[in-house]
Amino acid sequence: MPRRAWFGWIRPAIWLPLVVMLAIGGGLWQWGARSMPYLLPPLPSVFDSLSRNPSYYVRNAGITLGEAAAGLGMAFVAAFVLAVLVSEVGMVRRAVMPIAVVLNVTPVVAIAPALVVAFGFGPAPKLIITALICFFPILINTAVGLRSVPVPMLQVYQTIKASRLELLVHLRIPHALPYLFAALRIVTPLSIIGAVVAELSASGSVGGLGSVISVASSMNQLAVVYAAIFVLAVMGVLLMLIITLAERCALRWHESSADRAT
Amino acid sequence: MQAAAIELSSVRKVYGSGAAATVALDDVRLSIEPGRIATLIGPSGCGKSTLLRLVAGLEPADAGSVRVHGVTPDEACAAKLIGFVPQAPALLPWLSVLRNVTLPQKINSGAAKRRERIGDLADRDGFAGAPDMRELLRKVGLGDAVNKLPSQLSGGMRQRAAIVRAFGLRPDVLLMDEPFSALDEFTRESLQDQLLALWDDLSTTVLFVTHNVSEAVRLSDTVVVMAPNPGRIVEAIDIGLPRPRNQQVFAERAFHDCEDLIREKLYSAWRSPDAS
Repeated sequence: MPRRAWFGWIRPAIWLPLVVMLAIGGGLWQWGARSMPYLLPPLPSVFDSLSRNPSYYVRNAGITLGEAAAGLGMAFVAAFVLAVLVSEVGMVRRAVMPIAVVLNVTPVVAIAPALVVAFGFGPAPKLIITALICFFPILINTAVGLRSVPVPMLQVYQTIKASRLELLVHLRIPHALPYLFAALRIVTPLSIIGAVVAELSASGSVGGLGSVISVASSMNQLAVVYAAIFVLAVMGVLLMLIITLAERCALRWHESSADRAT
Repeated sequence: MQAAAIELSSVRKVYGSGAAATVALDDVRLSIEPGRIATLIGPSGCGKSTLLRLVAGLEPADAGSVRVHGVTPDEACAAKLIGFVPQAPALLPWLSVLRNVTLPQKINSGAAKRRERIGDLADRDGFAGAPDMRELLRKVGLGDAVNKLPSQLSGGMRQRAAIVRAFGLRPDVLLMDEPFSALDEFTRESLQDQLLALWDDLSTTVLFVTHNVSEAVRLSDTVVVMAPNPGRIVEAIDIGLPRPRNQQVFAERAFHDCEDLIREKLYSAWRSPDAS
Protein backbone atom coordinates (compact mmCIF):
# COMPACT_ATOMS: atom_id res chain seq x y z
CA MET A 1 0.00 0.00 0.00
CA PRO A 2 1.28 3.53 -0.75
CA ARG A 3 0.76 4.56 2.88
CA ARG A 4 3.16 1.93 4.13
CA ALA A 5 5.77 2.90 1.55
CA TRP A 6 5.51 6.46 2.85
CA PHE A 7 6.07 5.41 6.48
CA GLY A 8 9.00 3.30 5.30
CA TRP A 9 11.02 6.51 4.92
CA ILE A 10 11.27 6.70 8.70
CA ARG A 11 13.67 3.74 8.66
CA PRO A 12 17.33 4.81 8.26
CA ALA A 13 18.01 1.87 5.96
CA ILE A 14 15.75 3.61 3.43
CA TRP A 15 17.04 7.20 3.57
CA LEU A 16 20.60 6.82 4.84
CA PRO A 17 22.21 5.62 1.56
CA LEU A 18 20.81 8.65 -0.29
CA VAL A 19 21.97 11.09 2.42
CA VAL A 20 25.48 9.59 2.46
CA MET A 21 25.63 9.78 -1.33
CA LEU A 22 24.53 13.44 -1.29
CA ALA A 23 27.12 14.27 1.39
CA ILE A 24 29.91 12.64 -0.64
CA GLY A 25 28.76 14.43 -3.79
CA GLY A 26 28.57 17.76 -2.00
CA GLY A 27 32.04 17.27 -0.49
CA LEU A 28 33.57 16.44 -3.88
CA TRP A 29 31.85 19.48 -5.41
CA GLN A 30 33.23 21.79 -2.71
CA TRP A 31 36.74 20.36 -3.13
CA GLY A 32 36.49 20.86 -6.91
CA ALA A 33 35.17 24.41 -6.51
CA ARG A 34 38.07 25.35 -4.23
CA SER A 35 40.84 23.88 -6.39
CA MET A 36 39.36 24.88 -9.80
CA PRO A 37 37.21 28.01 -9.27
CA TYR A 38 36.75 28.53 -13.04
CA LEU A 39 35.15 25.05 -13.32
CA LEU A 40 32.59 24.94 -10.51
CA PRO A 41 31.07 27.62 -8.27
CA PRO A 42 31.07 26.93 -4.52
CA LEU A 43 27.72 25.50 -3.43
CA PRO A 44 26.98 28.29 -0.90
CA SER A 45 27.27 30.91 -3.63
CA VAL A 46 24.77 28.96 -5.79
CA PHE A 47 22.21 28.90 -2.98
CA ASP A 48 23.08 32.48 -2.14
CA SER A 49 22.18 33.50 -5.67
CA LEU A 50 18.90 31.59 -5.39
CA SER A 51 17.92 33.06 -2.03
CA ARG A 52 18.97 36.63 -2.80
CA ASN A 53 16.89 36.83 -5.96
CA PRO A 54 14.16 34.17 -5.89
CA SER A 55 11.66 36.14 -7.97
CA TYR A 56 14.19 36.35 -10.82
CA TYR A 57 14.42 32.56 -11.00
CA VAL A 58 10.70 32.00 -10.49
CA ARG A 59 9.83 34.44 -13.28
CA ASN A 60 12.26 32.84 -15.74
CA ALA A 61 11.26 29.34 -14.67
CA GLY A 62 7.66 30.35 -15.35
CA ILE A 63 8.57 31.42 -18.88
CA THR A 64 10.42 28.18 -19.62
CA LEU A 65 7.69 26.09 -18.04
CA GLY A 66 5.04 27.92 -20.05
CA GLU A 67 6.92 27.24 -23.30
CA ALA A 68 7.44 23.59 -22.39
CA ALA A 69 3.83 23.08 -21.35
CA ALA A 70 2.38 24.88 -24.37
CA GLY A 71 4.62 22.92 -26.75
CA LEU A 72 3.76 19.67 -25.03
CA GLY A 73 0.05 20.49 -25.12
CA MET A 74 0.12 21.30 -28.83
CA ALA A 75 2.06 18.11 -29.53
CA PHE A 76 -0.35 16.08 -27.42
CA VAL A 77 -3.47 17.26 -29.23
CA ALA A 78 -1.93 16.94 -32.69
CA ALA A 79 -0.32 13.56 -32.02
CA PHE A 80 -3.46 12.10 -30.47
CA VAL A 81 -5.68 13.14 -33.37
CA LEU A 82 -3.15 11.86 -35.89
CA ALA A 83 -2.74 8.59 -33.95
CA VAL A 84 -6.49 7.99 -34.20
CA LEU A 85 -6.38 8.69 -37.95
CA VAL A 86 -3.32 6.47 -38.36
CA SER A 87 -4.96 3.60 -36.53
CA GLU A 88 -8.30 3.91 -38.34
CA VAL A 89 -7.25 4.69 -41.91
CA GLY A 90 -4.71 2.40 -43.56
CA MET A 91 -3.84 4.98 -46.17
CA VAL A 92 -2.88 7.58 -43.54
CA ARG A 93 -0.88 4.94 -41.66
CA ARG A 94 1.19 4.03 -44.73
CA ALA A 95 1.77 7.68 -45.53
CA VAL A 96 2.65 8.93 -42.05
CA MET A 97 4.28 6.16 -40.05
CA PRO A 98 7.54 5.76 -42.05
CA ILE A 99 8.11 9.53 -41.91
CA ALA A 100 7.27 9.56 -38.20
CA VAL A 101 9.82 6.86 -37.48
CA VAL A 102 12.57 8.68 -39.41
CA LEU A 103 11.82 12.02 -37.76
CA ASN A 104 11.69 10.34 -34.36
CA VAL A 105 15.34 9.26 -34.64
CA THR A 106 16.42 12.65 -36.01
CA PRO A 107 17.78 14.96 -33.27
CA VAL A 108 15.16 17.65 -33.69
CA VAL A 109 16.98 20.08 -31.36
CA ALA A 110 19.53 20.50 -34.16
CA ILE A 111 17.06 22.57 -36.16
CA ALA A 112 16.63 25.06 -33.29
CA PRO A 113 19.15 27.59 -34.69
CA ALA A 114 17.47 27.42 -38.10
CA LEU A 115 14.07 28.09 -36.53
CA VAL A 116 15.45 31.05 -34.63
CA VAL A 117 16.71 32.45 -37.93
CA ALA A 118 13.26 31.92 -39.43
CA PHE A 119 11.03 33.07 -36.55
CA GLY A 120 13.20 35.39 -34.47
CA PHE A 121 13.47 35.74 -30.70
CA GLY A 122 9.76 35.41 -29.87
CA PRO A 123 8.05 32.34 -28.45
CA ALA A 124 7.35 30.74 -31.86
CA PRO A 125 10.64 28.81 -32.32
CA LYS A 126 10.51 27.58 -28.71
CA LEU A 127 7.00 26.22 -29.09
CA ILE A 128 7.82 24.62 -32.43
CA ILE A 129 10.94 22.87 -31.12
CA THR A 130 9.21 21.62 -27.99
CA ALA A 131 6.17 20.41 -29.92
CA LEU A 132 8.33 18.67 -32.53
CA ILE A 133 10.34 16.82 -29.89
CA CYS A 134 7.21 15.69 -28.03
CA PHE A 135 5.10 14.88 -31.08
CA PHE A 136 6.55 11.61 -32.33
CA PRO A 137 6.86 9.59 -29.13
CA ILE A 138 3.21 10.41 -28.36
CA LEU A 139 2.12 9.58 -31.91
CA ILE A 140 3.94 6.26 -32.11
CA ASN A 141 3.01 5.04 -28.62
CA THR A 142 -0.64 6.00 -28.93
CA ALA A 143 -0.97 4.47 -32.39
CA VAL A 144 0.50 1.20 -31.10
CA GLY A 145 -1.86 1.24 -28.11
CA LEU A 146 -4.93 1.89 -30.25
CA ARG A 147 -4.07 -1.02 -32.53
CA SER A 148 -3.12 -3.60 -29.89
CA VAL A 149 -6.52 -4.37 -28.35
CA PRO A 150 -6.54 -8.16 -27.78
CA VAL A 151 -8.41 -10.06 -30.51
CA PRO A 152 -10.95 -11.84 -28.23
CA MET A 153 -12.07 -8.46 -26.80
CA LEU A 154 -12.58 -7.13 -30.31
CA GLN A 155 -14.40 -10.30 -31.38
CA VAL A 156 -16.96 -9.99 -28.59
CA TYR A 157 -17.83 -6.49 -29.82
CA GLN A 158 -17.58 -7.38 -33.51
CA THR A 159 -20.26 -10.05 -33.09
CA ILE A 160 -22.68 -7.34 -31.96
CA LYS A 161 -21.55 -5.08 -34.82
CA ALA A 162 -20.17 -2.27 -32.70
CA SER A 163 -19.45 0.68 -34.99
CA ARG A 164 -15.89 1.88 -35.51
CA LEU A 165 -16.65 4.90 -33.34
CA GLU A 166 -17.97 2.64 -30.55
CA LEU A 167 -14.89 0.41 -30.78
CA LEU A 168 -12.68 3.50 -30.66
CA VAL A 169 -14.39 5.08 -27.66
CA HIS A 170 -15.07 1.98 -25.59
CA LEU A 171 -12.13 -0.29 -26.46
CA ARG A 172 -9.26 1.34 -28.33
CA ILE A 173 -8.82 4.63 -26.46
CA PRO A 174 -9.05 3.14 -22.93
CA HIS A 175 -6.68 0.38 -24.01
CA ALA A 176 -4.23 2.99 -25.37
CA LEU A 177 -4.13 5.01 -22.12
CA PRO A 178 -1.20 3.14 -20.53
CA TYR A 179 0.74 3.60 -23.78
CA LEU A 180 -0.14 7.28 -23.75
CA PHE A 181 1.13 7.72 -20.20
CA ALA A 182 4.33 5.88 -21.06
CA ALA A 183 4.79 8.42 -23.85
CA LEU A 184 4.15 11.33 -21.47
CA ARG A 185 6.83 10.01 -19.12
CA ILE A 186 9.31 10.07 -22.01
CA VAL A 187 8.19 13.39 -23.39
CA THR A 188 7.85 15.55 -20.27
CA PRO A 189 11.62 15.86 -19.62
CA LEU A 190 12.12 16.26 -23.36
CA SER A 191 9.72 19.22 -23.42
CA ILE A 192 11.93 21.09 -20.95
CA ILE A 193 15.04 20.20 -22.95
CA GLY A 194 13.33 21.51 -26.08
CA ALA A 195 12.38 24.82 -24.47
CA VAL A 196 15.86 25.36 -22.95
CA VAL A 197 17.72 24.48 -26.15
CA ALA A 198 15.53 26.89 -28.12
CA GLU A 199 16.24 29.64 -25.55
CA LEU A 200 19.98 28.91 -25.68
CA SER A 201 19.96 29.18 -29.47
CA ALA A 202 18.18 32.52 -29.33
CA SER A 203 20.58 34.36 -27.04
CA GLY A 204 19.11 37.72 -26.21
CA SER A 205 15.54 36.48 -26.17
CA VAL A 206 13.04 37.84 -23.67
CA GLY A 207 13.56 35.36 -20.87
CA GLY A 208 13.49 31.82 -19.64
CA LEU A 209 16.09 29.79 -17.78
CA GLY A 210 17.89 28.97 -21.03
CA SER A 211 18.49 32.67 -21.66
CA VAL A 212 19.54 33.12 -18.02
CA ILE A 213 22.14 30.38 -18.50
CA SER A 214 23.48 31.72 -21.77
CA VAL A 215 23.68 35.32 -20.53
CA ALA A 216 25.26 34.38 -17.17
CA SER A 217 27.85 32.06 -18.69
CA SER A 218 28.90 34.74 -21.17
CA MET A 219 29.54 36.96 -18.14
CA ASN A 220 31.31 34.20 -16.19
CA GLN A 221 28.64 34.08 -13.45
CA LEU A 222 28.92 30.35 -12.73
CA ALA A 223 26.79 30.53 -9.58
CA VAL A 224 23.85 31.89 -11.58
CA VAL A 225 24.30 29.22 -14.26
CA TYR A 226 24.17 26.40 -11.74
CA ALA A 227 21.32 27.97 -9.81
CA ALA A 228 19.29 28.00 -13.04
CA ILE A 229 20.22 24.38 -13.72
CA PHE A 230 19.13 23.48 -10.19
CA VAL A 231 15.76 25.16 -10.78
CA LEU A 232 15.38 23.24 -14.05
CA ALA A 233 16.00 19.97 -12.23
CA VAL A 234 13.40 20.79 -9.57
CA MET A 235 10.94 21.71 -12.32
CA GLY A 236 11.50 18.38 -14.05
CA VAL A 237 10.94 16.45 -10.84
CA LEU A 238 7.69 18.33 -10.14
CA LEU A 239 6.40 17.68 -13.66
CA MET A 240 7.14 13.96 -13.38
CA LEU A 241 5.36 13.92 -10.04
CA ILE A 242 2.26 15.42 -11.65
CA ILE A 243 2.35 12.85 -14.47
CA THR A 244 2.76 9.99 -11.98
CA LEU A 245 -0.19 11.18 -9.90
CA ALA A 246 -2.38 11.59 -12.98
CA GLU A 247 -1.36 8.14 -14.16
CA ARG A 248 -2.26 6.58 -10.83
CA CYS A 249 -5.71 8.13 -10.93
CA ALA A 250 -6.41 7.26 -14.56
CA LEU A 251 -4.89 3.77 -14.58
CA ARG A 252 -6.06 2.36 -11.29
CA TRP A 253 -7.12 -0.75 -13.24
CA HIS A 254 -3.78 -1.33 -14.94
CA GLU A 255 -1.16 -3.89 -13.83
CA SER A 256 1.55 -1.23 -13.69
CA SER A 257 -0.25 0.62 -10.89
CA ALA A 258 -1.17 -2.63 -9.11
CA ASP A 259 2.52 -3.51 -8.98
CA ARG A 260 3.41 -0.21 -7.38
CA ALA A 261 0.67 -0.49 -4.78
CA THR A 262 1.86 -3.81 -3.35
CA MET B 1 -42.04 -23.16 -41.55
CA GLN B 2 -39.65 -22.07 -38.87
CA ALA B 3 -36.05 -21.54 -39.99
CA ALA B 4 -33.30 -23.43 -38.20
CA ALA B 5 -31.39 -21.36 -35.67
CA ILE B 6 -28.12 -22.32 -37.33
CA GLU B 7 -27.90 -23.84 -40.79
CA LEU B 8 -24.70 -24.69 -42.66
CA SER B 9 -24.76 -26.28 -46.09
CA SER B 10 -21.73 -27.53 -48.03
CA VAL B 11 -19.47 -25.13 -46.16
CA ARG B 12 -15.80 -25.11 -47.10
CA LYS B 13 -13.01 -23.06 -45.57
CA VAL B 14 -9.38 -23.13 -46.72
CA TYR B 15 -6.46 -21.29 -45.14
CA GLY B 16 -3.45 -20.44 -47.32
CA SER B 17 -3.18 -21.32 -50.99
CA GLY B 18 -1.35 -23.69 -53.34
CA ALA B 19 0.64 -26.52 -51.77
CA ALA B 20 0.54 -24.89 -48.32
CA ALA B 21 -3.27 -24.77 -48.25
CA THR B 22 -4.99 -26.30 -45.23
CA VAL B 23 -8.58 -27.39 -45.59
CA ALA B 24 -10.03 -26.30 -42.26
CA LEU B 25 -13.58 -27.34 -43.14
CA ASP B 26 -14.80 -29.51 -46.00
CA ASP B 27 -18.43 -30.03 -47.04
CA VAL B 28 -19.87 -29.26 -43.62
CA ARG B 29 -23.65 -29.59 -43.29
CA LEU B 30 -25.29 -28.86 -39.99
CA SER B 31 -28.71 -27.77 -38.83
CA ILE B 32 -29.60 -26.81 -35.27
CA GLU B 33 -33.17 -26.23 -34.14
CA PRO B 34 -33.96 -23.15 -32.05
CA GLY B 35 -33.63 -23.53 -28.29
CA ARG B 36 -31.30 -26.51 -28.39
CA ILE B 37 -27.74 -26.95 -27.14
CA ALA B 38 -25.34 -28.43 -29.68
CA THR B 39 -21.71 -29.22 -28.97
CA LEU B 40 -18.85 -29.45 -31.44
CA ILE B 41 -16.26 -31.96 -30.26
CA GLY B 42 -13.08 -33.25 -31.84
CA PRO B 43 -9.30 -33.19 -31.65
CA SER B 44 -7.33 -30.00 -32.34
CA GLY B 45 -7.26 -29.09 -35.99
CA CYS B 46 -10.72 -30.51 -36.76
CA GLY B 47 -12.06 -27.03 -37.50
CA LYS B 48 -14.50 -26.70 -34.61
CA SER B 49 -13.36 -23.20 -33.69
CA THR B 50 -13.27 -22.23 -37.36
CA LEU B 51 -16.87 -23.38 -37.70
CA LEU B 52 -17.83 -21.24 -34.71
CA ARG B 53 -16.08 -18.18 -36.17
CA LEU B 54 -17.96 -18.67 -39.44
CA VAL B 55 -21.30 -18.71 -37.60
CA ALA B 56 -20.19 -15.64 -35.60
CA GLY B 57 -19.48 -13.77 -38.82
CA LEU B 58 -15.86 -13.22 -37.82
CA GLU B 59 -14.66 -14.97 -41.00
CA PRO B 60 -16.38 -15.65 -44.34
CA ALA B 61 -16.86 -19.16 -45.73
CA ASP B 62 -15.04 -19.93 -49.00
CA ALA B 63 -17.97 -21.95 -50.33
CA GLY B 64 -21.43 -23.01 -49.20
CA SER B 65 -23.75 -20.97 -47.05
CA VAL B 66 -24.07 -20.16 -43.37
CA ARG B 67 -27.44 -18.96 -42.06
CA VAL B 68 -28.48 -17.82 -38.61
CA HIS B 69 -32.29 -17.72 -38.31
CA GLY B 70 -32.41 -17.53 -42.09
CA VAL B 71 -30.09 -14.53 -42.49
CA THR B 72 -26.33 -14.25 -43.04
CA PRO B 73 -24.06 -14.12 -39.98
CA ASP B 74 -23.30 -10.51 -40.84
CA GLU B 75 -26.96 -9.52 -40.71
CA ALA B 76 -27.40 -11.61 -37.56
CA CYS B 77 -24.60 -9.66 -35.86
CA ALA B 78 -26.11 -6.35 -36.98
CA ALA B 79 -29.41 -7.39 -35.35
CA LYS B 80 -27.57 -8.63 -32.23
CA LEU B 81 -28.88 -12.17 -32.55
CA ILE B 82 -25.51 -13.55 -31.52
CA GLY B 83 -23.78 -13.69 -28.16
CA PHE B 84 -20.14 -14.74 -28.23
CA VAL B 85 -18.12 -16.18 -25.35
CA PRO B 86 -14.46 -16.58 -26.32
CA GLN B 87 -11.97 -18.95 -24.72
CA ALA B 88 -10.41 -16.10 -22.72
CA PRO B 89 -13.01 -14.09 -20.76
CA ALA B 90 -11.95 -10.94 -22.63
CA LEU B 91 -13.47 -8.57 -20.07
CA LEU B 92 -12.39 -4.94 -20.39
CA PRO B 93 -9.87 -4.50 -17.55
CA TRP B 94 -10.74 -0.84 -16.98
CA LEU B 95 -14.45 -1.45 -16.30
CA SER B 96 -16.12 -2.94 -13.23
CA VAL B 97 -17.87 -6.29 -13.62
CA LEU B 98 -21.26 -4.59 -13.78
CA ARG B 99 -20.19 -2.10 -16.43
CA ASN B 100 -18.48 -4.89 -18.36
CA VAL B 101 -21.73 -6.82 -18.65
CA THR B 102 -23.93 -3.79 -19.39
CA LEU B 103 -21.72 -2.12 -22.02
CA PRO B 104 -22.71 -4.50 -24.88
CA GLN B 105 -26.37 -3.61 -24.30
CA LYS B 106 -25.60 0.04 -25.06
CA ILE B 107 -23.65 -0.77 -28.24
CA ASN B 108 -25.37 -0.88 -31.66
CA SER B 109 -28.67 0.58 -30.49
CA GLY B 110 -30.37 0.15 -33.86
CA ALA B 111 -30.23 -3.64 -33.55
CA ALA B 112 -33.68 -4.17 -32.02
CA LYS B 113 -35.38 -2.66 -35.06
CA ARG B 114 -33.30 -4.78 -37.42
CA ARG B 115 -34.18 -7.87 -35.38
CA GLU B 116 -37.92 -7.25 -35.75
CA ARG B 117 -37.55 -7.47 -39.49
CA ILE B 118 -36.10 -10.98 -39.35
CA GLY B 119 -38.98 -13.39 -40.16
CA ASP B 120 -39.95 -15.60 -37.26
CA LEU B 121 -38.05 -13.80 -34.52
CA ALA B 122 -40.56 -10.99 -33.97
CA ASP B 123 -42.99 -13.32 -32.20
CA ARG B 124 -40.40 -15.11 -30.10
CA ASP B 125 -41.07 -13.82 -26.61
CA GLY B 126 -37.40 -13.81 -25.71
CA PHE B 127 -36.85 -10.16 -26.41
CA ALA B 128 -38.45 -8.45 -23.43
CA GLY B 129 -35.99 -5.61 -23.10
CA ALA B 130 -32.71 -5.78 -21.24
CA PRO B 131 -32.64 -8.15 -18.26
CA ASP B 132 -31.62 -6.96 -14.80
CA MET B 133 -27.88 -7.48 -14.91
CA ARG B 134 -27.39 -7.24 -11.15
CA GLU B 135 -29.90 -10.06 -10.78
CA LEU B 136 -28.13 -12.18 -13.41
CA LEU B 137 -24.78 -11.58 -11.72
CA ARG B 138 -26.26 -12.56 -8.37
CA LYS B 139 -27.61 -15.74 -9.92
CA VAL B 140 -24.13 -16.89 -10.91
CA GLY B 141 -22.65 -15.92 -7.53
CA LEU B 142 -21.11 -12.61 -8.53
CA GLY B 143 -23.47 -10.50 -6.40
CA ASP B 144 -20.62 -9.23 -4.22
CA ALA B 145 -18.30 -8.61 -7.15
CA VAL B 146 -20.40 -6.20 -9.24
CA ASN B 147 -18.13 -3.25 -8.49
CA LYS B 148 -14.83 -5.12 -8.65
CA LEU B 149 -12.38 -4.92 -11.50
CA PRO B 150 -11.74 -8.09 -13.56
CA SER B 151 -8.15 -8.26 -12.24
CA GLN B 152 -9.57 -8.72 -8.73
CA LEU B 153 -11.50 -11.87 -9.73
CA SER B 154 -10.48 -15.51 -10.07
CA GLY B 155 -10.43 -17.18 -13.49
CA GLY B 156 -13.75 -18.91 -12.87
CA MET B 157 -15.44 -15.68 -11.77
CA ARG B 158 -14.15 -13.87 -14.84
CA GLN B 159 -15.52 -16.56 -17.13
CA ARG B 160 -18.88 -16.37 -15.32
CA ALA B 161 -18.95 -12.63 -15.91
CA ALA B 162 -18.21 -13.26 -19.60
CA ILE B 163 -21.14 -15.68 -19.78
CA VAL B 164 -23.46 -13.19 -18.07
CA ARG B 165 -22.29 -10.53 -20.53
CA ALA B 166 -23.37 -12.77 -23.43
CA PHE B 167 -26.70 -13.76 -21.82
CA GLY B 168 -27.42 -10.12 -21.01
CA LEU B 169 -27.87 -9.48 -24.72
CA ARG B 170 -30.67 -12.06 -24.74
CA PRO B 171 -29.10 -13.55 -27.81
CA ASP B 172 -31.05 -15.89 -30.04
CA VAL B 173 -27.86 -17.83 -30.63
CA LEU B 174 -25.09 -18.20 -28.06
CA LEU B 175 -21.68 -19.22 -29.40
CA MET B 176 -19.15 -20.50 -26.87
CA ASP B 177 -15.57 -21.35 -27.83
CA GLU B 178 -14.12 -23.74 -25.20
CA PRO B 179 -15.15 -21.32 -22.45
CA PHE B 180 -14.29 -23.70 -19.60
CA SER B 181 -11.11 -25.25 -20.95
CA ALA B 182 -8.79 -23.17 -18.75
CA LEU B 183 -10.65 -23.98 -15.52
CA ASP B 184 -10.18 -26.77 -12.99
CA GLU B 185 -12.70 -29.59 -12.94
CA PHE B 186 -14.75 -28.43 -9.93
CA THR B 187 -15.09 -24.90 -11.26
CA ARG B 188 -15.92 -26.31 -14.67
CA GLU B 189 -18.77 -28.44 -13.34
CA SER B 190 -20.28 -25.63 -11.30
CA LEU B 191 -20.10 -23.34 -14.33
CA GLN B 192 -21.89 -26.00 -16.36
CA ASP B 193 -24.65 -25.92 -13.72
CA GLN B 194 -24.92 -22.17 -14.02
CA LEU B 195 -24.88 -22.24 -17.80
CA LEU B 196 -27.73 -24.78 -17.80
CA ALA B 197 -29.70 -22.69 -15.29
CA LEU B 198 -29.33 -19.53 -17.39
CA TRP B 199 -30.20 -21.46 -20.53
CA ASP B 200 -33.36 -22.78 -18.83
CA ASP B 201 -34.49 -19.22 -18.09
CA LEU B 202 -33.62 -17.57 -21.36
CA SER B 203 -34.03 -20.55 -23.73
CA THR B 204 -31.58 -19.59 -26.43
CA THR B 205 -29.85 -21.80 -28.97
CA VAL B 206 -26.33 -22.69 -27.87
CA LEU B 207 -23.42 -23.82 -30.03
CA PHE B 208 -20.63 -24.94 -27.73
CA VAL B 209 -17.09 -25.96 -28.68
CA THR B 210 -15.26 -28.34 -26.35
CA HIS B 211 -12.74 -31.14 -26.31
CA ASN B 212 -14.17 -32.66 -23.15
CA VAL B 213 -16.48 -35.63 -23.76
CA SER B 214 -18.41 -35.58 -20.47
CA GLU B 215 -18.94 -31.83 -20.77
CA ALA B 216 -20.37 -32.38 -24.24
CA VAL B 217 -22.73 -35.15 -23.11
CA ARG B 218 -23.93 -33.28 -20.05
CA LEU B 219 -24.76 -30.04 -21.82
CA SER B 220 -26.00 -31.12 -25.21
CA ASP B 221 -29.09 -32.15 -27.06
CA THR B 222 -26.81 -32.95 -29.98
CA VAL B 223 -23.10 -33.75 -29.96
CA VAL B 224 -21.44 -33.10 -33.31
CA VAL B 225 -18.32 -35.23 -33.65
CA MET B 226 -15.65 -33.74 -35.90
CA ALA B 227 -12.37 -35.04 -37.33
CA PRO B 228 -9.30 -33.34 -38.84
CA ASN B 229 -7.49 -33.50 -42.21
CA PRO B 230 -9.66 -32.15 -43.67
CA GLY B 231 -11.87 -30.70 -40.92
CA ARG B 232 -15.25 -32.37 -41.25
CA ILE B 233 -18.30 -33.59 -39.38
CA VAL B 234 -18.24 -37.34 -38.71
CA GLU B 235 -21.62 -37.71 -37.10
CA ALA B 236 -24.23 -35.79 -35.12
CA ILE B 237 -25.38 -37.81 -32.12
CA ASP B 238 -28.59 -36.93 -30.27
CA ILE B 239 -28.37 -37.17 -26.50
CA GLY B 240 -31.69 -38.31 -25.08
CA LEU B 241 -30.89 -37.90 -21.40
CA PRO B 242 -33.72 -36.18 -19.49
CA ARG B 243 -33.33 -32.62 -18.22
CA PRO B 244 -32.63 -30.98 -15.85
CA ARG B 245 -29.24 -32.64 -15.75
CA ASN B 246 -27.74 -31.90 -12.37
CA GLN B 247 -24.47 -33.36 -11.12
CA GLN B 248 -26.12 -36.71 -10.39
CA VAL B 249 -26.24 -37.30 -14.12
CA PHE B 250 -22.53 -38.19 -13.97
CA ALA B 251 -23.40 -41.34 -12.00
CA GLU B 252 -26.00 -42.62 -14.45
CA ARG B 253 -25.39 -45.54 -16.73
CA ALA B 254 -27.06 -43.90 -19.74
CA PHE B 255 -24.66 -40.96 -19.37
CA HIS B 256 -21.65 -43.24 -19.63
CA ASP B 257 -23.15 -45.11 -22.58
CA CYS B 258 -23.37 -41.76 -24.42
CA GLU B 259 -19.78 -40.96 -23.47
CA ASP B 260 -18.58 -44.35 -24.74
CA LEU B 261 -20.42 -43.92 -28.01
CA ILE B 262 -18.84 -40.51 -28.62
CA ARG B 263 -15.37 -41.73 -27.68
CA GLU B 264 -15.75 -44.60 -30.10
CA LYS B 265 -16.75 -42.24 -32.93
CA LEU B 266 -13.84 -39.92 -32.11
CA TYR B 267 -11.30 -42.75 -32.10
CA SER B 268 -12.54 -44.47 -35.23
CA ALA B 269 -12.33 -41.14 -37.08
CA TRP B 270 -8.85 -40.67 -35.61
CA ARG B 271 -7.69 -44.11 -36.79
CA SER B 272 -8.87 -43.64 -40.38
CA PRO B 273 -7.99 -40.07 -41.35
CA ASP B 274 -8.96 -40.71 -45.00
CA ALA B 275 -12.48 -41.75 -44.05
CA SER B 276 -14.06 -38.74 -45.75
